[in-house]
Amino acid sequence: MDQNEHTQSLCPICLNRIPARRVLDGSSVYLEKQCPVHGDFSTVIWRGEPAFSKWKRPKWPSRPPVCKTEINAGCPFDCGLCPDHAQHTCTTLVEVTRRCNLNCPVCFAKSGNEVVDPDLNTIREQILSIRQSAGACTLQISGGEPTVRDDLPEIVSFAAGQGFALVQLNTNGLRFAEEPQYAETLEQAGLESVFLQFDAVCDPPYERLRGRPLWEKKKQAVTALARAGIGVVLVPTLVPGVNTEEAGAIIRFALSRHPAVRGVHFQPVSYFGRYPHTPADEDRLTLPELMCAIELQTQGLICTADFMPPGCEHALCSFHAAFQVTESGMLKRVGGGCCNTAPIEAAAGARQNVLLTGQRWRHPPAGTQLKINETDDLDRFLYETRTRSFTVSAMVFQDAWSLDLERLRGCCIHVSAPDGRLIPFCAYNITASEGQPLYRRINGQKPLTAQSKMAP
Amino acid sequence: MQINQQFNPSKGSWQCARCRTPLEPGHVALNYLENSFRVGVLVCPRCRQALIPEDMATGKMLEVEKLLEDK
Repeated sequence: MDQNEHTQSLCPICLNRIPARRVLDGSSVYLEKQCPVHGDFSTVIWRGEPAFSKWKRPKWPSRPPVCKTEINAGCPFDCGLCPDHAQHTCTTLVEVTRRCNLNCPVCFAKSGNEVVDPDLNTIREQILSIRQSAGACTLQISGGEPTVRDDLPEIVSFAAGQGFALVQLNTNGLRFAEEPQYAETLEQAGLESVFLQFDAVCDPPYERLRGRPLWEKKKQAVTALARAGIGVVLVPTLVPGVNTEEAGAIIRFALSRHPAVRGVHFQPVSYFGRYPHTPADEDRLTLPELMCAIELQTQGLICTADFMPPGCEHALCSFHAAFQVTESGMLKRVGGGCCNTAPIEAAAGARQNVLLTGQRWRHPPAGTQLKINETDDLDRFLYETRTRSFTVSAMVFQDAWSLDLERLRGCCIHVSAPDGRLIPFCAYNITASEGQPLYRRINGQKPLTAQSKMAP
Repeated sequence: MQINQQFNPSKGSWQCARCRTPLEPGHVALNYLENSFRVGVLVCPRCRQALIPEDMATGKMLEVEKLLEDK
């Protein structure tokens, strides 16, 4: 990076929009910004190799096909999506409850305290609205903890009938562990994939992050989901000083439960919703640090060079690699060989992401067999990709300190607000340092964007 | 090695546009992004030019391309 890159952000105290810069210092990059009222802020966003300057995936902006809001106060105060948004939707979250059967010290949704759920008809209308606005994207049923609703099978069944590319459930897995038939019930309702909170392969990190030892429960949940034929993606929240040393062991556990476990999707901790204290730079795990940790902790089974920046969301938001698991248990890299670095159309990246995510995160169909007399190398490759696919990926969310509005405009992960607007995930969850939410209504607290006084 | 008949055109008598020789069942290697796939198609016995039917090009060949290009 020859000179600082200019972008925009928010003040983490008042949430007013302010200019920001990405500043290179050695091999680290910091997001620096200055609020005229609250002073200077600096947050690390990149540390080490691969070099920040090489991690690019340029895209031509694609306006959302349906915009439910107009440009008024400007990004990020007009989300709905607004016509200035630069990417289509690849995944939409529908939050079916704010209740939770855990009370985690770290929770981006700050769930657990509200008792009234939206009724089934309201959820159905919300799902129909998503299908109309976002198209045949991946639908992720989320919360709170969705399994606390006893009518979840009805919600899944309705969603499965609407032609989404993939219907996925975001869960801590407790109910799957405790009720042996529950996974079968949801599979029969049409559930194809589960995003399973999975922070470690031992108890201490769960005690720190979730308030309870959960390792046995997690194993039981994976077993139940595998038996039911539901694809499982393990989703660790990685917190420095708590469980960043678990990354390799989690990948090895995932491989031991392949093909039911389709991959691992890491989420370095972000500081919104409920978290213990204002973050310092040492409280953050950047994407290159995680790539290097995976290489080190898997003894090179997976290498930093295997990972690619995304073709869907902004390059600074994630990395991914797809593999085939060989019969000897090794990993063979699939894809990623494209040498064309010219900008792509953002919407084309979103379409490709929806297609591949649906293929890779489903459980392979039971009894799938390759018919030997009808096959060639293309058939064999497609068969092996479906049955032996394994992905390792990570997404780092933005909080009030790390928010970069260029990244936000390129976001493809959207939350369906109760009024039908689609809000980029990070914007929906951002809270100011004192807890003021930008979009999400938390414990009756009015979000900033619902107040009459709007930031410039 | 078995020739995959489904890659042949459903009907018609095909000849090479370049050397006017009737096409015959054969094999070709499809190379893309450091991967090679051997498939059965109609080929010209003289110049080895191959006929890739449209349903193959827009079907599993495209699907494999997308997987190799990744997301």
